[in-house]
Amino acid sequence: MELLDFARGPALQFGLYAFVIGTVWRILGILLLAAKPDHSAARKAGGFMAALKVIYTRSFTADAFKQDTLYPKILGYLLHIGLFVTVFLFVPHILFFKGLIGLEWPGLPNNIIFFVGVITAGVGVALLVRRLTNPVLKLISNFDDYFSWLVTMAPIITGIIIPIRFGVRYETLLAVHILSVALLLTWLPFGKLAHAFLVFFSRGTTGLVLERRGAKT
Amino acid sequence: MKQKPTLGEVLQAKGVSRRGFLKYCAATASLLALPPAMVPRIAQALEAARRPSVIWLSFQECTGCTESLTRSSSPTLEGLIFDSISLDYHHTLQAASGEAAEAARHAAMEENRGNYLVLVDGSIPLGNPGFSTIAGISNVDMLTETVADAAAVVAIGSCAAFGGIPGANPNPTGAVSVSDLVTDKPVVNVPGCPPIPTVITAVLTQFLTFGQLPDLDHYGRPRAFYGQTIHDRCYRRPFYEQGRFAETFDDEGARKGWCLYKLGCKGPITYNACATVKWNQGTSFPIESGHPCLGCSEPDFWDDGGFYRPVSTARIGGGAAFGTAVAAGAAIGVAAAAMSRRRQQKTIKEG
Amino acid sequence: MSAPNPFGESPRGNVEPILNEVMHALDRLLDDGEATVIDLGRLPFGPGEIEELEGQLGTGEIKARLDALGASRIRETIYPGVWWLDHYNTAGELAGRYIEITRVPDILTSQEADIAAGRARLHELISRSEETALQ
Ligand code: SF4
Repeated sequence: MELLDFARGPALQFGLYAFVIGTVWRILGILLLAAKPDHSAARKAGGFMAALKVIYTRSFTADAFKQDTLYPKILGYLLHIGLFVTVFLFVPHILFFKGLIGLEWPGLPNNIIFFVGVITAGVGVALLVRRLTNPVLKLISNFDDYFSWLVTMAPIITGIIIPIRFGVRYETLLAVHILSVALLLTWLPFGKLAHAFLVFFSRGTTGLVLERRGAKT
Repeated sequence: MKQKPTLGEVLQAKGVSRRGFLKYCAATASLLALPPAMVPRIAQALEAARRPSVIWLSFQECTGCTESLTRSSSPTLEGLIFDSISLDYHHTLQAASGEAAEAARHAAMEENRGNYLVLVDGSIPLGNPGFSTIAGISNVDMLTETVADAAAVVAIGSCAAFGGIPGANPNPTGAVSVSDLVTDKPVVNVPGCPPIPTVITAVLTQFLTFGQLPDLDHYGRPRAFYGQTIHDRCYRRPFYEQGRFAETFDDEGARKGWCLYKLGCKGPITYNACATVKWNQGTSFPIESGHPCLGCSEPDFWDDGGFYRPVSTARIGGGAAFGTAVAAGAAIGVAAAAMSRRRQQKTIKEG
Repeated sequence: MSAPNPFGESPRGNVEPILNEVMHALDRLLDDGEATVIDLGRLPFGPGEIEELEGQLGTGEIKARLDALGASRIRETIYPGVWWLDHYNTAGELAGRYIEITRVPDILTSQEADIAAGRARLHELISRSEETALQ
């Protein structure tokens, strides 16, 4: 049980601190940046609505690209929905959040979570295969992309293994799972995974800039 | 050294028939979790078995383990403790006390040098020898002296096996487990608070039958009983998978017998045989009676952050620390932004 | 809907697999004459499951009571060749519970050692009464 104690205690604590500090740091650091001086006249007055509009419209692909991006788009959606379901609707996880923030919400049966987890892991692998086989993607991928993939997949895969066991003791697997989560939390604010909380800021900013230039969004 | 009678001789003298003996052997096979096909071998071994001498030492304990054992008549039929082992010293159970009792202990050690079993319940305080003494002898001295010529040591209960409640944070007496002190002898841990009586007798029966100690896990616990978690063998497991949980002790889920995970059940990380061997002559076990497993057969179960806290919750400090983390993040963020602004200004000025 | 269970819902996970095991054991008994013993003592029964299993197997034509180191209740179920054995200790507590798939449970047959001991006792009785007759 010692490893589990370490994982649930200091390791997780470190991960959560890193996550909180990193997230606040990055959000404030970006929001407080001065905008680049722009001396051109605005085509349209950039408003909050313009930002919201792009936040919404960028959730879908422009018609021109629909055909080409269908496959990664589906995978992307599956991955994110899968992550949401497995992270937030698995009852033991909900109890974990309840312990942290005091809030509770209904979950899904474990067997459904397991099924979703396996699909999510499969999707993750498919996305990596695509990254490795698509020459353009491969060219623009750096360490951050691969490492972010790894730290995202680690909790999914270790989570799936827990009920299967493969002859390993439950508490050891649980500890490894929690350690992988601590790693994810530590890395999340600092790498590309920060899109988890930055995505809407960046889309909104794009909306404002495009609006100012009078582009069709 | 006077030769102890074999178990076959003991039973024969009592007029026990072969049928009765076979029944005993079948119960022994069940007890040791051996397949029924082993009964003939057990019969052969038991007939020739001689009662081992047992010295039972009680240190910082609550006597719950002895209580548990003396409630264990099943399935040993004729009360294994009094028929098939020779309990030569147990200061709670024996009539003699003081010097007479100590003399009995020394006599048993002398007579069975190298062959006797030492059973220990309770943890041993190292903080101050005066914290716990018997006949003026400190626990650590008595243990060291008694195990010197023992064949093996069986640590009964979580206190003897892992330090237990005396060893719980902040461990005021400096309590340690038997295996912390005994390193040159085989030590079998039979943890639990108390351990299942059947498991205690099974370890003794194994030694009696085959003259061997059972196969042990990494905490020194017999695999036959501590090989699987409560959760693995829990009849409420299908409810766990279906996501049907009792939320409180008296809601609909509790009445319907749903899974107790949310009420803090430690079944998933607790290795013990309660779900199959059960308690009180096989009547039930805590989960069957509607209470989550406390995890009492695991090291430091007492310090695991609360009996009613679900296994998956974090064992970490409270909200104040997170407030500090937010503040720290904010400070770094503001500083980073300020620095970047200054850099920007500089670039603009330098044109 | 079935009758409400006083212990709450139970998943009833054990009864069916055991009945299946019994059926395969009957195959082996009929095909190769091989007997099987199922130890019910180490299975994770939920509340009411044992009773359900016992009810499914029912009581057949033979019931026997054995008194040796406590009582034992042995009966053939409604499936010939399938026996239910409850062993109690001298304190009347259940010491072992088994299903045996066999023509007749071993423990019911007279044991060699007991036969020999009985013969010796009978021999003694006869020689004693002969002695008395001679006097
Ligand atoms: S009651 Fe406890 S041991 Fe049983 S299934 Fe639920 S969590 Fe597992």
